[in-house]
Amino acid sequence: MRISVLATLIALLTTTAALSQTYPGAMPVPRTTSAPALADLAKQREVEERFRIGLAALSAANYKGAAAEFARVVAINPAEPKGSTARYDLAIAYANLQREDDAAAQLRAAIELDPGFLAAMANLVAVDLARGDFTEARSVADRFLALAPDSARALYARGIVALGTGDAATAREDFGKLLHSNPAYAVAHYDLAIAEERLGHMDAAERELRTALSLAPTYARAEFALGAVLLRQGRRSEARDAFVRTMQDASGDPALLNIAAAMRDSIAI
Amino acid sequence: MPRALVRPLLLAAALAGAFFCGRFAVANAAAAEDALAGQLTPSATPGLLGPITSAGRKGWDCKPEHAAASASVHAAELPAAPDTR
Repeated sequence: MRISVLATLIALLTTTAALSQTYPGAMPVPRTTSAPALADLAKQREVEERFRIGLAALSAANYKGAAAEFARVVAINPAEPKGSTARYDLAIAYANLQREDDAAAQLRAAIELDPGFLAAMANLVAVDLARGDFTEARSVADRFLALAPDSARALYARGIVALGTGDAATAREDFGKLLHSNPAYAVAHYDLAIAEERLGHMDAAERELRTALSLAPTYARAEFALGAVLLRQGRRSEARDAFVRTMQDASGDPALLNIAAAMRDSIAI
Repeated sequence: MPRALVRPLLLAAALAGAFFCGRFAVANAAAAEDALAGQLTPSATPGLLGPITSAGRKGWDCKPEHAAASASVHAAELPAAPDTR
């Protein structure tokens, strides 16, 4: 009897403790009457508030509103890490507003404030590729990779830039290294195959494409590239089959579907 | 037309046909390879990494900075292949 009363009492106490609310500690009140110190505190508060509103605007896809908030933070010029972070976030808003040049300028400024800012470098490469500035994209990708040699994003980004600028040897090296730590990444097998094809290594290109297709059987671009590689090897019947398979898998890509159909029709068996 | 001439004429026509078909096939193959030049494009550019809070990239658990530094393609938010096994 006594035991059951004790158990009930313990259960009640536990439930009451779980239901009771906890309150955050009171915010520290500024203990100063100095005008510059108060102005500085007001600026800090404004920066925090604008960050909060700007981030909420970004998550709501309100890029214009977000840009206004982060531009104000940048104008306040807060100390690090807030200065580089505000520029980074402002760049995201600008990129989504198709203001790529402004986005690139903000990311450059963020990296200047914080030279080890890898996320800013990753985004600057992406923005530069969208702007068609391959020179800066390559330079930033080189720096990104020097700071983070094992970074999957750095390897991928420089590989893509290298393929875009005709440097197939660097692309081959970067995608090869990326695959060393991520052997099941079909996209890297595809890009490595493109690099091998451009270097004239058709056997290696075919091997990489077949690996990509074993990992992702409906990878229409890989199937199309396989057709192209087989055609260059004079294996016309196999190439035609690959273009037919491309057409089956490329239903969501009308451009690829059309070129695959044209290739299939151009091959007389 | 004398019957003796029919067979040589038919043979000549067949040979000419084969010859021109071969020429067109070669031309088609060459045109196909020309059409392929520039069609083997690299994969997509990776998307932008997400925003960072006022704590900055060295703040607690900054996901975009982790994504930028990670050796894993999944953590790095790289483009995915269709139907990846």
